[in-house]
Amino acid sequence: MSRRLTAPSEEAALERLHEAGCTDGLPVVVPTPARVERMVLASGLDGDASLGQLGPNMGEATVEKAAIAAVMAGCLPDHFPVVVAAVRAVCDPRMDMTEVQATTHSLGPLIVVNGPAVDACGIASGFGALGPGHRANASIGRAIRLAMINVGGGRPGTSDMALLGHPGKFTFCLGEDERSSPWPPLHASLGYGVDQSTVTVACTEGPHSVLCFPDDDPEAYAEHLLNVLAASLSGLGANNTHFARGTQVLVLNPDHAIALADAGHDCTTISEQLYQRAKHSWSELSAVRAKGSGIDRRQRSQGDDPDLAVHALSSPESLLILVAGGTGLYSAVMPSWGAGPHGNGHVTVEIDLDQSCEVPFAPLAS
Amino acid sequence: MRDAISAARRHIPAVALVTAKFSPQGDFVSRSAGMPDIPRVILPHPVAGTGEKAMKMVADDIAGEVLWALGAAG
Repeated sequence: MSRRLTAPSEEAALERLHEAGCTDGLPVVVPTPARVERMVLASGLDGDASLGQLGPNMGEATVEKAAIAAVMAGCLPDHFPVVVAAVRAVCDPRMDMTEVQATTHSLGPLIVVNGPAVDACGIASGFGALGPGHRANASIGRAIRLAMINVGGGRPGTSDMALLGHPGKFTFCLGEDERSSPWPPLHASLGYGVDQSTVTVACTEGPHSVLCFPDDDPEAYAEHLLNVLAASLSGLGANNTHFARGTQVLVLNPDHAIALADAGHDCTTISEQLYQRAKHSWSELSAVRAKGSGIDRRQRSQGDDPDLAVHALSSPESLLILVAGGTGLYSAVMPSWGAGPHGNGHVTVEIDLDQSCEVPFAPLAS
Repeated sequence: MRDAISAARRHIPAVALVTAKFSPQGDFVSRSAGMPDIPRVILPHPVAGTGEKAMKMVADDIAGEVLWALGAAG
Protein backbone atom coordinates (compact mmCIF):
# COMPACT_ATOMS: atom_id res chain seq x y z
CA MET A 1 0.00 0.00 0.00
CA SER A 2 1.41 3.38 -0.96
CA ARG A 3 1.88 6.13 1.58
CA ARG A 4 -0.92 8.72 1.66
CA LEU A 5 -0.63 12.45 2.00
CA THR A 6 -3.50 14.63 3.10
CA ALA A 7 -4.22 18.17 2.04
CA PRO A 8 -7.15 20.56 2.45
CA SER A 9 -7.58 21.17 -1.29
CA GLU A 10 -6.48 20.03 -4.75
CA GLU A 11 -4.19 23.05 -5.05
CA ALA A 12 -2.61 22.38 -1.67
CA ALA A 13 -2.12 18.73 -2.58
CA LEU A 14 -0.31 19.71 -5.78
CA GLU A 15 2.00 22.02 -3.85
CA ARG A 16 2.73 19.26 -1.33
CA LEU A 17 3.67 16.92 -4.17
CA HIS A 18 5.98 19.55 -5.64
CA GLU A 19 7.57 20.22 -2.24
CA ALA A 20 8.07 16.51 -1.62
CA GLY A 21 9.98 16.14 -4.90
CA CYS A 22 7.33 13.81 -6.31
CA THR A 23 6.78 15.69 -9.59
CA ASP A 24 8.85 16.33 -12.69
CA GLY A 25 8.54 20.06 -12.05
CA LEU A 26 5.31 20.44 -14.00
CA PRO A 27 1.82 20.28 -12.48
CA VAL A 28 0.44 16.77 -12.11
CA VAL A 29 -3.01 15.30 -11.69
CA VAL A 30 -3.31 14.67 -7.96
CA PRO A 31 -3.41 10.88 -7.48
CA THR A 32 -6.41 10.54 -5.21
CA PRO A 33 -7.30 7.03 -4.05
CA ALA A 34 -10.37 6.96 -6.34
CA ARG A 35 -8.34 7.93 -9.41
CA VAL A 36 -5.65 5.40 -8.63
CA GLU A 37 -8.17 2.65 -7.96
CA ARG A 38 -9.82 3.34 -11.31
CA MET A 39 -6.48 3.07 -13.05
CA VAL A 40 -5.65 -0.19 -11.28
CA LEU A 41 -9.09 -1.53 -12.19
CA ALA A 42 -8.42 -0.73 -15.84
CA SER A 43 -5.37 -2.97 -15.81
CA GLY A 44 -7.29 -6.04 -14.68
CA LEU A 45 -4.33 -6.71 -12.38
CA ASP A 46 -3.93 -6.85 -8.61
CA GLY A 47 -2.70 -3.52 -7.29
CA ASP A 48 -0.12 -5.26 -5.14
CA ALA A 49 1.30 -7.27 -8.04
CA SER A 50 4.94 -6.42 -8.63
CA LEU A 51 6.19 -5.33 -12.02
CA GLY A 52 9.80 -5.39 -10.80
CA GLN A 53 12.24 -3.27 -8.87
CA LEU A 54 13.43 0.10 -10.03
CA GLY A 55 16.84 1.51 -9.16
CA PRO A 56 18.73 3.22 -7.81
CA ASN A 57 16.27 3.14 -4.91
CA MET A 58 15.29 -0.44 -5.76
CA GLY A 59 11.70 0.49 -5.06
CA GLU A 60 9.03 -2.14 -5.67
CA ALA A 61 7.12 -1.09 -8.76
CA THR A 62 3.68 -2.46 -7.97
CA VAL A 63 0.72 -2.05 -10.28
CA GLU A 64 -0.64 0.49 -7.80
CA LYS A 65 2.54 2.57 -7.92
CA ALA A 66 2.52 2.43 -11.70
CA ALA A 67 -1.11 3.58 -11.56
CA ILE A 68 -0.16 6.50 -9.32
CA ALA A 69 2.46 7.56 -11.86
CA ALA A 70 -0.04 7.17 -14.70
CA VAL A 71 -2.67 9.27 -12.92
CA MET A 72 -0.12 11.97 -12.11
CA ALA A 73 1.05 12.00 -15.72
CA GLY A 74 -2.45 12.51 -17.06
CA CYS A 75 -2.96 9.06 -18.58
CA LEU A 76 -6.35 7.72 -19.48
CA PRO A 77 -7.15 4.21 -18.24
CA ASP A 78 -6.86 3.09 -21.87
CA HIS A 79 -3.17 4.04 -21.77
CA PHE A 80 -2.41 2.03 -18.69
CA PRO A 81 -1.63 -1.35 -20.32
CA VAL A 82 1.17 0.43 -22.21
CA VAL A 83 2.42 2.01 -18.99
CA VAL A 84 2.40 -1.39 -17.26
CA ALA A 85 4.44 -2.96 -20.07
CA ALA A 86 6.88 -0.05 -20.13
CA VAL A 87 7.35 -0.21 -16.35
CA ARG A 88 8.07 -3.94 -16.69
CA ALA A 89 10.64 -3.06 -19.34
CA VAL A 90 12.48 -0.42 -17.30
CA CYS A 91 12.49 -2.77 -14.30
CA ASP A 92 14.13 -5.51 -16.35
CA PRO A 93 17.61 -5.99 -14.86
CA ARG A 94 19.07 -5.83 -18.38
CA MET A 95 18.11 -2.16 -18.51
CA ASP A 96 20.54 -1.33 -15.68
CA MET A 97 18.23 1.43 -14.52
CA THR A 98 20.30 2.05 -11.40
CA GLU A 99 23.26 2.98 -13.57
CA VAL A 100 21.09 4.70 -16.20
CA GLN A 101 19.65 7.01 -13.56
CA ALA A 102 23.01 7.60 -11.87
CA THR A 103 25.15 8.33 -14.92
CA THR A 104 26.39 11.80 -15.76
CA HIS A 105 25.52 11.12 -19.44
CA SER A 106 22.27 12.47 -20.91
CA LEU A 107 19.96 9.58 -21.66
CA GLY A 108 16.43 8.50 -21.00
CA PRO A 109 14.17 5.58 -21.84
CA LEU A 110 12.77 5.87 -25.36
CA ILE A 111 9.50 3.93 -25.52
CA VAL A 112 8.54 2.59 -28.94
CA VAL A 113 5.05 1.11 -29.23
CA ASN A 114 4.18 -1.42 -31.93
CA GLY A 115 1.12 -3.41 -32.92
CA PRO A 116 -2.58 -2.87 -32.36
CA ALA A 117 -1.92 -0.86 -29.17
CA VAL A 118 -0.74 2.05 -31.32
CA ASP A 119 -4.27 2.64 -32.62
CA ALA A 120 -6.07 1.30 -29.58
CA CYS A 121 -4.33 3.80 -27.29
CA GLY A 122 -4.19 6.66 -29.76
CA ILE A 123 -0.41 6.80 -29.86
CA ALA A 124 0.91 9.18 -32.49
CA SER A 125 3.50 7.98 -34.99
CA GLY A 126 3.41 10.74 -37.59
CA PHE A 127 4.18 14.46 -37.60
CA GLY A 128 5.75 15.57 -34.34
CA ALA A 129 5.35 12.18 -32.71
CA LEU A 130 8.06 13.03 -30.18
CA GLY A 131 6.89 16.61 -29.74
CA PRO A 132 4.03 18.27 -27.88
CA GLY A 133 0.36 17.85 -28.63
CA HIS A 134 -0.12 14.07 -28.49
CA ARG A 135 -1.77 13.15 -25.22
CA ALA A 136 -1.04 9.42 -25.22
CA ASN A 137 2.62 9.85 -26.16
CA ALA A 138 3.09 12.67 -23.67
CA SER A 139 1.34 11.05 -20.74
CA ILE A 140 2.64 7.48 -21.19
CA GLY A 141 6.24 8.63 -21.42
CA ARG A 142 5.75 11.01 -18.52
CA ALA A 143 4.30 8.20 -16.39
CA ILE A 144 7.52 6.23 -16.84
CA ARG A 145 9.59 9.22 -15.78
CA LEU A 146 7.40 9.80 -12.72
CA ALA A 147 7.83 6.13 -11.79
CA MET A 148 11.59 6.56 -12.19
CA ILE A 149 11.43 9.54 -9.84
CA ASN A 150 9.07 8.18 -7.19
CA VAL A 151 9.77 4.45 -7.29
CA GLY A 152 13.34 4.49 -8.58
CA GLY A 153 14.32 7.57 -6.59
CA GLY A 154 15.96 9.41 -9.51
CA ARG A 155 16.30 13.05 -8.52
CA PRO A 156 18.72 15.51 -10.09
CA GLY A 157 21.96 16.09 -8.28
CA THR A 158 21.61 13.33 -5.71
CA SER A 159 20.65 10.18 -7.59
CA ASP A 160 20.07 11.30 -11.19
CA MET A 161 23.52 12.64 -11.95
CA ALA A 162 23.01 13.68 -15.59
CA LEU A 163 25.14 16.75 -16.08
CA LEU A 164 22.55 18.41 -18.32
CA GLY A 165 19.84 15.87 -19.16
CA HIS A 166 17.65 16.12 -22.25
CA PRO A 167 14.02 17.07 -22.83
CA GLY A 168 13.11 13.44 -23.55
CA LYS A 169 13.62 12.82 -19.86
CA PHE A 170 10.21 14.44 -19.34
CA THR A 171 8.54 12.12 -21.82
CA PHE A 172 9.92 10.05 -24.72
CA CYS A 173 7.29 7.83 -26.32
CA LEU A 174 6.07 7.23 -29.87
CA GLY A 175 4.44 4.61 -32.01
CA GLU A 176 5.87 3.14 -35.18
CA ASP A 177 4.05 4.23 -38.33
CA GLU A 178 3.56 0.66 -39.48
CA ARG A 179 1.18 1.62 -42.29
CA SER A 180 3.72 3.90 -43.95
CA SER A 181 6.61 1.52 -43.54
CA PRO A 182 7.67 -0.54 -46.56
CA TRP A 183 8.96 -3.24 -44.20
CA PRO A 184 7.65 -5.44 -41.39
CA PRO A 185 7.44 -3.48 -38.12
CA LEU A 186 10.16 -3.30 -35.51
CA HIS A 187 8.57 -5.82 -33.15
CA ALA A 188 8.30 -8.40 -35.94
CA SER A 189 12.05 -8.15 -36.43
CA LEU A 190 12.40 -8.84 -32.69
CA GLY A 191 10.41 -12.08 -32.90
CA TYR A 192 6.88 -10.90 -32.14
CA GLY A 193 3.83 -11.33 -34.32
CA VAL A 194 2.44 -8.30 -36.11
CA ASP A 195 -0.84 -8.85 -34.21
CA GLN A 196 0.93 -8.61 -30.88
CA SER A 197 1.47 -5.26 -29.20
CA THR A 198 4.80 -4.40 -27.63
CA VAL A 199 6.85 -1.69 -26.04
CA THR A 200 10.52 -1.64 -26.92
CA VAL A 201 12.58 0.48 -24.55
CA ALA A 202 16.10 1.69 -25.23
CA CYS A 203 17.83 4.28 -23.09
CA THR A 204 19.31 6.80 -25.52
CA GLU A 205 20.27 10.37 -26.08
CA GLY A 206 17.66 12.66 -27.54
CA PRO A 207 16.93 12.61 -31.28
CA HIS A 208 19.65 13.99 -33.54
CA SER A 209 18.20 15.30 -36.79
CA VAL A 210 19.56 13.86 -40.05
CA LEU A 211 18.99 15.86 -43.24
CA CYS A 212 18.92 14.21 -46.66
CA PHE A 213 17.53 15.79 -49.82
CA PRO A 214 15.81 13.58 -52.39
CA ASP A 215 17.48 12.65 -55.66
CA ASP A 216 15.79 11.56 -58.86
CA ASP A 217 18.32 8.75 -59.10
CA PRO A 218 17.10 6.13 -56.57
CA GLU A 219 20.53 4.57 -56.17
CA ALA A 220 22.19 7.96 -55.55
CA TYR A 221 19.44 8.93 -53.09
CA ALA A 222 19.93 5.74 -51.10
CA GLU A 223 23.70 6.17 -51.13
CA HIS A 224 23.51 9.76 -49.89
CA LEU A 225 21.06 8.76 -47.22
CA LEU A 226 23.14 5.82 -45.97
CA ASN A 227 26.23 8.00 -45.88
CA VAL A 228 24.65 10.81 -43.91
CA LEU A 229 22.99 8.37 -41.50
CA ALA A 230 26.34 6.64 -40.96
CA ALA A 231 28.02 9.97 -40.29
CA SER A 232 25.31 10.85 -37.79
CA LEU A 233 25.72 7.49 -36.04
CA SER A 234 29.44 8.01 -35.62
CA GLY A 235 29.81 11.54 -34.30
CA LEU A 236 33.18 12.03 -32.67
CA GLY A 237 31.57 13.28 -29.48
CA ALA A 238 29.09 10.43 -29.19
CA ASN A 239 29.57 7.72 -26.59
CA ASN A 240 29.08 4.92 -29.07
CA THR A 241 32.00 6.15 -31.15
CA HIS A 242 34.13 5.82 -28.03
CA PHE A 243 32.71 2.57 -26.64
CA ALA A 244 30.83 0.86 -29.54
CA ARG A 245 28.31 -0.48 -27.08
CA GLY A 246 24.60 -0.17 -26.55
CA THR A 247 21.49 0.05 -28.69
CA GLN A 248 21.20 2.96 -31.07
CA VAL A 249 17.89 3.88 -32.63
CA LEU A 250 17.26 5.06 -36.17
CA VAL A 251 13.89 6.65 -36.90
CA LEU A 252 13.38 6.93 -40.65
CA ASN A 253 10.69 9.23 -41.90
CA PRO A 254 8.38 7.50 -44.41
CA ASP A 255 9.98 9.22 -47.44
CA HIS A 256 13.46 8.12 -46.45
CA ALA A 257 12.24 4.60 -45.73
CA ILE A 258 10.59 4.33 -49.14
CA ALA A 259 13.71 5.69 -50.82
CA LEU A 260 15.80 2.97 -49.23
CA ALA A 261 13.20 0.32 -50.07
CA ASP A 262 13.10 1.52 -53.69
CA ALA A 263 16.85 0.93 -53.83
CA GLY A 264 16.31 -2.65 -52.69
CA HIS A 265 17.05 -2.29 -48.99
CA ASP A 266 15.30 -3.75 -46.00
CA CYS A 267 16.09 -3.23 -42.31
CA THR A 268 18.66 -6.04 -42.34
CA THR A 269 20.65 -4.61 -45.24
CA ILE A 270 20.36 -1.08 -43.87
CA SER A 271 21.75 -2.23 -40.51
CA GLU A 272 24.60 -4.03 -42.20
CA GLN A 273 25.38 -1.05 -44.42
CA LEU A 274 25.33 1.38 -41.50
CA TYR A 275 27.47 -0.91 -39.38
CA GLN A 276 30.04 -0.98 -42.17
CA ARG A 277 29.90 2.76 -42.90
CA ALA A 278 29.67 4.16 -39.36
CA LYS A 279 33.35 3.94 -38.58
CA HIS A 280 36.61 5.83 -38.30
CA SER A 281 40.28 4.98 -38.61
CA TRP A 282 42.59 5.31 -35.62
CA SER A 283 44.21 8.20 -37.48
CA GLU A 284 40.90 10.09 -37.51
CA LEU A 285 40.22 9.24 -33.88
CA SER A 286 43.60 10.44 -32.68
CA ALA A 287 42.23 13.99 -32.61
CA VAL A 288 39.79 13.06 -29.84
CA ARG A 289 41.79 10.39 -28.07
CA ALA A 290 42.55 11.22 -24.44
CA LYS A 291 44.56 9.04 -22.09
CA GLY A 292 42.30 6.61 -20.26
CA SER A 293 39.31 7.43 -22.47
CA GLY A 294 37.13 4.84 -24.16
CA ILE A 295 38.92 5.35 -27.46
CA ASP A 296 42.28 4.99 -25.73
CA ARG A 297 41.20 1.71 -24.16
CA ARG A 298 39.78 0.41 -27.44
CA GLN A 299 43.00 1.21 -29.21
CA ARG A 300 45.02 -0.61 -26.55
CA SER A 301 42.84 -3.70 -26.97
CA GLN A 302 42.42 -3.63 -30.74
CA GLY A 303 45.87 -2.49 -31.80
CA ASP A 304 46.77 0.77 -33.42
CA ASP A 305 46.94 -0.11 -37.11
CA PRO A 306 46.21 3.36 -38.55
CA ASP A 307 44.02 1.85 -41.26
CA LEU A 308 41.99 -0.39 -38.97
CA ALA A 309 38.25 0.30 -39.12
CA VAL A 310 36.91 1.34 -35.74
CA HIS A 311 33.17 0.75 -35.82
CA ALA A 312 30.73 2.99 -33.98
CA LEU A 313 28.16 0.18 -33.64
CA SER A 314 28.93 -3.02 -31.80
CA SER A 315 27.08 -5.04 -34.47
CA PRO A 316 24.40 -4.54 -37.12
CA GLU A 317 21.89 -5.94 -34.62
CA SER A 318 22.65 -3.15 -32.13
CA LEU A 319 20.73 -0.72 -34.35
CA LEU A 320 16.94 -0.59 -34.00
CA ILE A 321 15.18 0.78 -37.08
CA LEU A 322 11.63 2.05 -37.15
CA VAL A 323 9.54 4.31 -39.36
CA ALA A 324 7.87 7.35 -37.80
CA GLY A 325 7.41 11.07 -38.22
CA GLY A 326 5.98 13.16 -41.01
CA THR A 327 7.07 12.93 -44.63
CA GLY A 328 9.97 15.15 -45.62
CA LEU A 329 13.71 15.61 -45.47
CA TYR A 330 14.52 14.67 -41.89
CA SER A 331 15.09 11.39 -40.12
CA ALA A 332 16.69 11.01 -36.69
CA VAL A 333 19.20 8.94 -34.79
CA MET A 334 19.35 8.41 -31.04
CA PRO A 335 22.89 7.48 -29.96
CA SER A 336 23.55 5.11 -27.10
CA TRP A 337 25.26 5.51 -23.76
CA GLY A 338 27.12 2.23 -23.92
CA ALA A 339 27.89 1.68 -20.26
CA GLY A 340 26.30 -0.33 -17.46
CA PRO A 341 26.85 -3.99 -16.61
CA HIS A 342 24.58 -5.12 -19.45
CA GLY A 343 25.92 -2.64 -21.98
CA ASN A 344 22.85 -0.42 -22.50
CA GLY A 345 20.80 -2.72 -24.72
CA HIS A 346 17.07 -2.68 -25.37
CA VAL A 347 14.21 -4.66 -23.87
CA THR A 348 10.88 -5.54 -25.48
CA VAL A 349 7.79 -6.42 -23.46
CA GLU A 350 4.42 -7.50 -24.80
CA ILE A 351 1.46 -5.24 -23.96
CA ASP A 352 -1.42 -7.23 -22.57
CA LEU A 353 -4.48 -5.48 -23.98
CA ASP A 354 -6.77 -8.44 -23.20
CA GLN A 355 -6.47 -7.99 -19.42
CA SER A 356 -7.68 -4.42 -19.45
CA CYS A 357 -11.23 -3.41 -18.56
CA GLU A 358 -13.35 -0.53 -19.73
CA VAL A 359 -13.64 2.12 -17.07
CA PRO A 360 -16.17 4.94 -17.29
CA PHE A 361 -14.46 8.11 -18.48
CA ALA A 362 -14.20 10.46 -15.53
CA PRO A 363 -10.53 11.27 -15.19
CA LEU A 364 -10.87 14.07 -12.66
CA ALA A 365 -13.40 12.43 -10.36
CA SER A 366 -12.12 12.49 -6.80
CA MET B 1 29.32 2.60 -3.53
CA ARG B 2 27.33 -0.47 -4.58
CA ASP B 3 30.54 -2.40 -5.16
CA ALA B 4 31.68 -1.63 -1.63
CA ILE B 5 28.29 -2.62 -0.24
CA SER B 6 28.35 -5.87 -2.23
CA ALA B 7 31.81 -6.67 -0.86
CA ALA B 8 30.80 -5.81 2.70
CA ARG B 9 27.77 -8.09 2.41
CA ARG B 10 30.19 -10.89 1.61
CA HIS B 11 32.11 -10.02 4.79
CA ILE B 12 34.98 -8.61 2.76
CA PRO B 13 36.39 -5.45 4.35
CA ALA B 14 35.41 -2.59 2.06
CA VAL B 15 35.59 1.15 1.78
CA ALA B 16 33.90 3.23 -0.91
CA LEU B 17 35.87 5.97 -2.65
CA VAL B 18 33.58 8.83 -3.68
CA THR B 19 34.51 12.17 -5.18
CA ALA B 20 33.21 15.24 -3.39
CA LYS B 21 30.61 16.15 -6.00
CA PHE B 22 29.17 12.64 -5.85
CA SER B 23 29.06 12.50 -2.09
CA PRO B 24 25.28 13.20 -1.91
CA GLN B 25 24.69 10.44 -4.46
CA GLY B 26 26.85 8.11 -2.40
CA ASP B 27 24.77 8.91 0.67
CA PHE B 28 21.57 8.21 -1.30
CA VAL B 29 22.84 4.90 -2.66
CA SER B 30 24.10 3.72 0.72
CA ARG B 31 20.75 4.51 2.31
CA SER B 32 18.71 2.91 -0.48
CA ALA B 33 20.92 -0.18 -0.44
CA GLY B 34 20.34 -0.53 3.31
CA MET B 35 23.91 0.13 4.45
CA PRO B 36 24.06 3.84 5.31
CA ASP B 37 27.19 3.39 7.42
CA ILE B 38 29.35 1.75 4.77
CA PRO B 39 32.81 3.30 5.25
CA ARG B 40 33.66 5.89 2.66
CA VAL B 41 36.49 8.23 1.84
CA ILE B 42 35.82 11.44 -0.04
CA LEU B 43 38.20 12.25 -2.89
CA PRO B 44 38.69 15.59 -4.62
CA HIS B 45 36.62 16.04 -7.77
CA PRO B 46 37.41 15.15 -10.47
CA VAL B 47 39.81 12.25 -10.34
CA ALA B 48 39.23 10.75 -13.79
CA GLY B 49 41.48 12.19 -16.45
CA THR B 50 43.72 14.12 -14.07
CA GLY B 51 46.78 12.03 -14.91
CA GLU B 52 48.89 9.47 -13.14
CA LYS B 53 50.87 11.98 -11.11
CA ALA B 54 47.78 13.64 -9.68
CA MET B 55 46.19 10.28 -8.93
CA LYS B 56 49.28 9.16 -7.03
CA MET B 57 49.09 12.32 -4.96
CA VAL B 58 45.45 11.63 -4.17
CA ALA B 59 46.32 8.04 -3.28
CA ASP B 60 49.08 9.23 -0.95
CA ASP B 61 46.71 11.68 0.68
CA ILE B 62 43.96 9.18 1.37
CA ALA B 63 45.93 6.00 2.07
CA GLY B 64 45.88 6.51 5.82
CA GLU B 65 42.18 7.30 5.82
CA VAL B 66 41.42 4.18 3.78
CA LEU B 67 43.41 2.00 6.18
CA TRP B 68 41.65 3.61 9.12
CA ALA B 69 38.25 3.01 7.51
CA LEU B 70 39.21 -0.63 6.99
CA GLY B 71 40.06 -0.96 10.63
CA ALA B 72 43.80 -1.41 10.13
CA ALA B 73 44.87 1.53 12.24
CA GLY B 74 44.91 1.75 16.00
